[in-house]
Amino acid sequence: MSSFKRKSSSRTQTLPGTRPSPGSNATTITSTGIPSLDDILGGGLPLSCSFVVAAPDPHSSYGELVQKTFVSQGLACKQDVLVVGSDQDALDWVNGCMWFHSSASSNPSLEEDAEDQKPADEEQKIKIAWRYEQMKQFQTTVGSTSISEDFCRTFDLTTRIPSFTIEKALKDGHLFTCNVLNTLDPTSWSESSSATQAVLLNIEDVLSQRSSKIPNTPLRICIPGLGSYAWGDLRTQDILQFLYQLRAILRRNPLACASIGLESHISTDAWGGPGWIQKLGWMCDGLITLDAFTTNPSLSTLFPSHHGLVHIHTLPSPHTLLPSSDRFSTLRGLSASVAEGGNSSGENNLAFKCTRKRLIFETMHLDVEGGVAERRTVPASSDGVLDNYNSHVSSIPVPKTGLASVEVELDPGSAAKAVPTPSPSHDDTGASVVVEAQAPKPRLKKAKKTVAFWSDRPDLYDF
Amino acid sequence: MFSPFDLPEDIFLLITDELPSPADFALCHCLVSHIKEKQNSSLRVVLSVSESLTRWQSILAKSNVNLSQQIAAKTFHFIDITSMALVQTDTDTDKVHGNPFHALYEQISSLLEEGNRDLNPGALVILDDISSLEWIGFSTSDLLRLCRALRVLCLKNQATLIIRHHIVTPGELDPLFRHLHSLCTYHLDIQPLNSGRSGDVSGQIALHSGPNAFPQSAVKTRQRSAALQYRLTDGTAIFFERGSSRGVL
Repeated sequence: MSSFKRKSSSRTQTLPGTRPSPGSNATTITSTGIPSLDDILGGGLPLSCSFVVAAPDPHSSYGELVQKTFVSQGLACKQDVLVVGSDQDALDWVNGCMWFHSSASSNPSLEEDAEDQKPADEEQKIKIAWRYEQMKQFQTTVGSTSISEDFCRTFDLTTRIPSFTIEKALKDGHLFTCNVLNTLDPTSWSESSSATQAVLLNIEDVLSQRSSKIPNTPLRICIPGLGSYAWGDLRTQDILQFLYQLRAILRRNPLACASIGLESHISTDAWGGPGWIQKLGWMCDGLITLDAFTTNPSLSTLFPSHHGLVHIHTLPSPHTLLPSSDRFSTLRGLSASVAEGGNSSGENNLAFKCTRKRLIFETMHLDVEGGVAERRTVPASSDGVLDNYNSHVSSIPVPKTGLASVEVELDPGSAAKAVPTPSPSHDDTGASVVVEAQAPKPRLKKAKKTVAFWSDRPDLYDF
Repeated sequence: MFSPFDLPEDIFLLITDELPSPADFALCHCLVSHIKEKQNSSLRVVLSVSESLTRWQSILAKSNVNLSQQIAAKTFHFIDITSMALVQTDTDTDKVHGNPFHALYEQISSLLEEGNRDLNPGALVILDDISSLEWIGFSTSDLLRLCRALRVLCLKNQATLIIRHHIVTPGELDPLFRHLHSLCTYHLDIQPLNSGRSGDVSGQIALHSGPNAFPQSAVKTRQRSAALQYRLTDGTAIFFERGSSRGVL
């Protein structure tokens, strides 16, 4: 037995809420507060890195949810947090953050999942062949069960952060706030870049205040709503310069990290021109887009269990060529291809959903009964949803008879359900009726049963 | 230099990459091969716009190259253009007279002259990267003047120049790229796979001759259709022909 022991750096153990990255001992990572997002990042957000979340959907606030969880996690693990408020006062914004249940068990996420799976398991026992009974349930996401609570707390969206926690953090000097509107100099607000420069100066002030106290606490900088009206008329150059300078500040202060949420209108190429998202990706260390389904009802019908897609543009790799996420992320699935003897099937599609209690990132799969690619011989009624969507944007005039016509499909043993189809081309002449009040005509031939993806109809196996 | 391609020295190599397939590995590979071939007999200058010295040190340490020793021996100079870039963009552009990169040019010129005096010729100058400078506000004409000046400086001092440029609109050629391409000897084109990310193949590399390449050069170019594929590890990249990745063989 060798008596030599490897020197382990004890510096990382003294930083609260952090741990060494699985990919590189030189990298220290901290949790974003969302275990599945930590997994996507390769364990967590590395210190000295900037992470940008783009959320192009103007009707939802999933991007803001990620920023609030980031701040809550920082306060929960006693790190220093700096919040830059834009259209809302920073302190009011922090008051709206979520918190964890102090009386909850250590694995509430597992309990919830177990409850959901219990009735399913009981049903499945009847149907699943005996050889598959021992296999565990198909997992689409990762939890925080293997990680200590010091690193990542399980936050509950129904619980608000207690006010005494915020007051204590302010008093102890762990929470710093800065408002964009307060930093603007009234005499110079004609310059579009003054807001970004003022905020950066504020950030540097906070960092220099901390350095005078010789801190060993990481600092989280959270900037939700970059690009909102409070920042003034920002040009693409101003935003890129801001991100560039912020990254330079983080490189000079390796104990700090930043999470930035972009306003919806600047999160797409439509605002910044071709290649805008790519430029943003080059100017920060990590960039993801939360593409919610709110504006696209056809997608929300196709994937009813998710609320949007996740697009990964770039991931942090502060000390290595390869981001640690490529090797260690379970959700992305790139490492799995290596472990299974090199059968590379590419990266998993990722989506997110917001349940009552938490925001979850998970892999996206088509339903058991197939997707839109299922072979059919007659158009399914689910196509009506797509047509409804398309007809809102088309300018082709629809004749009045077409608007009033109703397609009825008779299922044996169930009541007829009318599905309005404004487009006349999709009327099945064998089954259509002109007026709803009339009794449905008896069909000449049975409607062909198709196994299709309908979210509004009862599931085939629901008895 | 750059072993799978065996590029000659005293050239201007333009490296283009895209966000899913960054060219960090190519720059590190060139630097490592230059250090291992020439040891302490030549100079290396890295002009960094985005990355810090820490990252270069960490990555090169995995190839057993100690940059701190090189810095101490004055065979490696790391110039962080970040601070210079921020000072220039903070001031009103109307007040800046002359080229904002004049001081930088002078610094590099003196370094190369010292290098030729104290060490052997055959230095390596890497500019990483030029697109970020354009995006944060420097004018294309100033950047082009810098590139042309660097190219002439390297020709005079028998140094190799490598400039990295990001392509953000893959189908279209931006004006800066067109001008850089007209100056380059070779163009190393690093692209992601059309099918997206994969655990076995990180991207593909094509090598094209630039307008200033010698027609009788022994360098074997590669079109995109016959591009070399690569897979990244923590500190280096592994190159292989298409269809011979470890998942296939």
